[in-house]
Amino acid sequence: MDRTKLIHGTLFDIQGFSVHDGPGCRTLIFLKGCSLHCAWCSNPEGISPYPEPLYQISKCTFDGLCIEACPHHAIKQNLEHLVFDRSLCSTCNTFECTSACCSGALRKGGFQITVDTLFKKITRDRQYWGEGGGITLTGGEPFTQSGFVQALLKRCYETFIHTAVETCGNVPWKNIEPCLPWLDWIFFDLKHIDSKKHKQCTGSSNHLILQSAAKLAISFPGRIIFRMPVIPGFNDDSDHIASLCDFILSTGRQEINLLPVHHFGREKYNLLGQTYYTKEFNSIPHLEIERIRSQMEMSGIRCYTGSETPF
Amino acid sequence: MITTKNPHINYYGHQPGESIENREQKRSLSPRANTARELYFSAKSSTSMEFPYWYTRRWEELEGEIPIIRRAEALKAGFSHLTPVIYPGEILAMGKAAFLRGSYPMPWLSEAFFMAAEDKLYKEAQESGKLTADTFTTMGKGGGNVTTSVGKVISIAGKFGIRVEEMPIMLEVAKKWKDKSVDDVGHKYEQLVPGYSEKEALMRSVICMFDSGYTLPQGREVINYYYPLQFGIEGIIANCKESTAAVAGYPDMDRLYFFQAVIIMLEGLQKWIRNYAEEARFLTSIEKDEKQKAEYSEMAERLDWISAKPPRTFHDALQMIWIFHVAVLNEDAISGLSPGRVGQVLYPFWQRDIKNGIINREQSLEMLECMRIKFTEIDCFASMGVVGGVLSGNTFNNLCIGGSLKDGTSAANELEMLILEAGITCDTPQPTLSLLYDENLPEEFLLKGVECTKIGTGYPAWINNRVAMEFLVSNYGHEGLNMEEARAWAIGGCLETSPGSWMPLELDGEIHWIPGGSAPATSVGVHFLNLPKLLEVALFDGMDMRTSQRIFPSHGYALDTYEELWKSFQYYFSRACHILTLTNNVQHDAWRKISPSLINSMLKPDCLAKGKDIGQMGCRYNTTFNIESCGTANLVNSLAALKKNVFTEKNYSLNEYRKALLANFGYKTAQETGSYSLIDQVPTEQYHTWKKIHRQSLDAPKFGNDDPFVDTIMKDWEDWFCDMAHNYRSLYDQPMYACQISVSTHGPMGAVTLAGPDGRLSGTTFSDGSVSAYPGTDKNGPYALFNSATCWSHSKSQNSQLNMKIHPSVVKGREGSRKFLELIRAYLRKGGFHVQFNIVDSRMLKQAQSDPEKYRSLLVRVAGFTQYWVELGKQIQDEVIARTEYEEL
Repeated sequence: MDRTKLIHGTLFDIQGFSVHDGPGCRTLIFLKGCSLHCAWCSNPEGISPYPEPLYQISKCTFDGLCIEACPHHAIKQNLEHLVFDRSLCSTCNTFECTSACCSGALRKGGFQITVDTLFKKITRDRQYWGEGGGITLTGGEPFTQSGFVQALLKRCYETFIHTAVETCGNVPWKNIEPCLPWLDWIFFDLKHIDSKKHKQCTGSSNHLILQSAAKLAISFPGRIIFRMPVIPGFNDDSDHIASLCDFILSTGRQEINLLPVHHFGREKYNLLGQTYYTKEFNSIPHLEIERIRSQMEMSGIRCYTGSETPF
Repeated sequence: MITTKNPHINYYGHQPGESIENREQKRSLSPRANTARELYFSAKSSTSMEFPYWYTRRWEELEGEIPIIRRAEALKAGFSHLTPVIYPGEILAMGKAAFLRGSYPMPWLSEAFFMAAEDKLYKEAQESGKLTADTFTTMGKGGGNVTTSVGKVISIAGKFGIRVEEMPIMLEVAKKWKDKSVDDVGHKYEQLVPGYSEKEALMRSVICMFDSGYTLPQGREVINYYYPLQFGIEGIIANCKESTAAVAGYPDMDRLYFFQAVIIMLEGLQKWIRNYAEEARFLTSIEKDEKQKAEYSEMAERLDWISAKPPRTFHDALQMIWIFHVAVLNEDAISGLSPGRVGQVLYPFWQRDIKNGIINREQSLEMLECMRIKFTEIDCFASMGVVGGVLSGNTFNNLCIGGSLKDGTSAANELEMLILEAGITCDTPQPTLSLLYDENLPEEFLLKGVECTKIGTGYPAWINNRVAMEFLVSNYGHEGLNMEEARAWAIGGCLETSPGSWMPLELDGEIHWIPGGSAPATSVGVHFLNLPKLLEVALFDGMDMRTSQRIFPSHGYALDTYEELWKSFQYYFSRACHILTLTNNVQHDAWRKISPSLINSMLKPDCLAKGKDIGQMGCRYNTTFNIESCGTANLVNSLAALKKNVFTEKNYSLNEYRKALLANFGYKTAQETGSYSLIDQVPTEQYHTWKKIHRQSLDAPKFGNDDPFVDTIMKDWEDWFCDMAHNYRSLYDQPMYACQISVSTHGPMGAVTLAGPDGRLSGTTFSDGSVSAYPGTDKNGPYALFNSATCWSHSKSQNSQLNMKIHPSVVKGREGSRKFLELIRAYLRKGGFHVQFNIVDSRMLKQAQSDPEKYRSLLVRVAGFTQYWVELGKQIQDEVIARTEYEEL
């Protein structure tokens, strides 16, 4: 029996017709679990590696059905909302609470899927991509589920499907390396070049990230596009941009995609019972982005903003 | 991270972003067209009695005359007495009536429905159940609709204003048609159909919406401009005179009267056109501005010429097709008279003018913009149920571009590129555009289409040329339609595949084969069957539980198995088709006898050759009657929920389900909450009793997610429906076929339907179209929806309809255009017949709902057409807001 049939991955979404994350129309696969914890993250439900309850207070009718149903006694009712002991939830794989909920307030975030089932969906989507489409793995951090990712990429690559991955790079090289033969394209996120600052806002130093970037730049034959979320007051000053350019040039690669910070993920923090910090970061004016872009271009780096990356 | 996954937290919500996303920058229209559009915006839908008064007067004078001659004389009198009005800056003149948005009632079709509510005639009509649809239809409150009486203007049918001094004439004229109109005569004889009372019950319960024979007896068809363009009015009259001589005294004498009638009618049109020429001359004489004076003078010359001769230039030709378009609209209550493939028809004229330097591209664009404004001015006078419930005020003058030439090569040309450009610069709702997609159309043309779709007007709709031709060959093959002829097709009306023919236009000794319609009205026959309501009636063994009235006799099934449920539904559906086919055939027979088509008949091949009008099968193809459905996704989802929860998993008994439906799952009704969207419904205290069954109903498999459990039900329904429709025969003894567009009926039809086993609440709007998912239930993205939508062969049906709402950010920029085209192309390649897009932000729509005047020019695409947002009914507005956005920022 084919071993890959048994490998499960944990996802939190699959989206068809994505147009900003690689050539052509693509199917995006969102993998759960991330080794960073960025303050501005717009997909916070992708951070925990486990499925988790998502709770929308506005729909809740407080009838206690979920409280009764939970075998771990992880749900308590507060005056105005339910409180989840999420450490207990992370060990749960039965989710009696979401099945019991009738109001639609509780939903399971994340699900497990086999390579086989996922590949069937990809095959379906493939007929609609048109010219130059493919899949892009994102998340979360895809390489945290290296075995699954490797099996999936191989399956796709062998059937001539264009494969891309978006990674934060904060994973051991042994997680990345075995996937490389089956990859056409890598988006590599860089948040800050200064390790201390990096740790402040992402919870982790950038040591491993810079190492991975340097290694990939040498050993990966396909296209690498760096990506930087532009966070005002954190990584948008010209000194930082200068050192970032130095680093990129030192890898031998020369493409970067600037992504202005946005707040579309705000509601999801409520669903997870977390505080949303990104609001402390203002939106970035278009002129500022242009300033950074021209500084990068001056250093000899090809810089694309937002969705304008040529694929 | 650029790829935020939006939290699809519930069925109907998504998290709004920070600011309101604007549509991509639009190009501005020419000053001339802009002035005309401003004028249109400030005009109200108005009606006057001029035409009906003179029509009726002449009709009465000719008592005892041969009916078709009487009709021709009456039309002639009406046209001759229309007051000509020309607006400054116009380069295309003439309109339906003396008002800019003018139209008038046609009491010879139906006199009862436009009477004031207190009038006796109206009351009588209501009692027989005909007007129930009106009471469940809401009309858009903004824009040019006259929804309430103001000062000396009285509102009728919830849309039209009429001067108070004309009201007595209106009632007087209406009363003259009592017992003589198509409606009354048809009604008298339809009662002779066995089982007639069942038909009345169907109408009262709004299982069927509207009779067919007297509401909009013509339309949903493609006009044919060939004869006037080739021969001119004089040429056609001469031809009719020759034909008269050839048939007088020979058997089949009806031909004699037909040719005479055409001559009389054409004389009326000539008088009408010349009255306008006279007005233009008068304006020339008093105009001070030299430029305007010259334009009036040129217009007078042009109209005089066209009143007799074939066109000399593109401008002449455009003016001429507009005149004939209006003429046909004035002979009957018509919606959906499509100009068809104007870019093919006028191309020989345009090409010649360009070559000879008579016109340049800029002037052509201006003319095409003015044409758009003219088409937008068209109003259709009908009852509120028809205008609001079916049309949403839209008149469906669908213009097709793309498709194939006679030899099968790509038909896209430069003039069609300009038509698209005019659609971008002048984003009025009419004429709406449909792009007949074929694999051999050039990329440049397709991307131009994408550019137009992206500005958010909702057009062009993308239509599958191959699927339509397949449908035509299999449904009209027995009448001699072959593959070559199939290529002449176009969309008639909203989305009705209509057959056409190739006509040999001779210009400077060279033959140009131009396409034009060659079949009569479609979307006549059985109008809009309420599928979810029929399932409800099957569940309650023949009863309408909203009114506690019996519709059908008991079906006799115990409903112990899913198969029995399916059979009981099929049984009632077939019964409805049977009785409605027969009663509507009677009505159409009354129509063809009392109000035969003359202008449209004269235009359509081969009426002039055969000497027969449309009602006598004068057209080349006559298999146009159809059976229309509404609420497909709700039917299919309901069947799936029952199959799962009652018959497979046995979570509930059917009786428990019946109770839950009657209790509306513990919610208030939509009429109580004033919103027709599921998202805004309010629970009562009983909610807790039903919450579990409601949740399990909502969680049951839903169409649109590539889930075989429910998609096989969809396929079973479609395969059965498309085949069984052929079992019914039209007035012209031709098999009927399935037509699957909801237009706007999914609002009022949802309003009369109890909660559904799919979790839909009582009174709320159904899903639109026939392969659109129910709002918010397609949770696996467009590709899964495409797979579900194409689980059956669309060429078996006259149409299928898929409406999608897309956020502008998804298709932004040049790269976005290319990828958007890939999406469209992929669906059509998979065999989808139709797809169209709302590129719009739902927050923008919500703002527009509370502040309609600020959004006066916002266009929205609903169910096969485009309309100004503020003119849509609230039910439809709610439904558009709730529809899933494919938002991937």
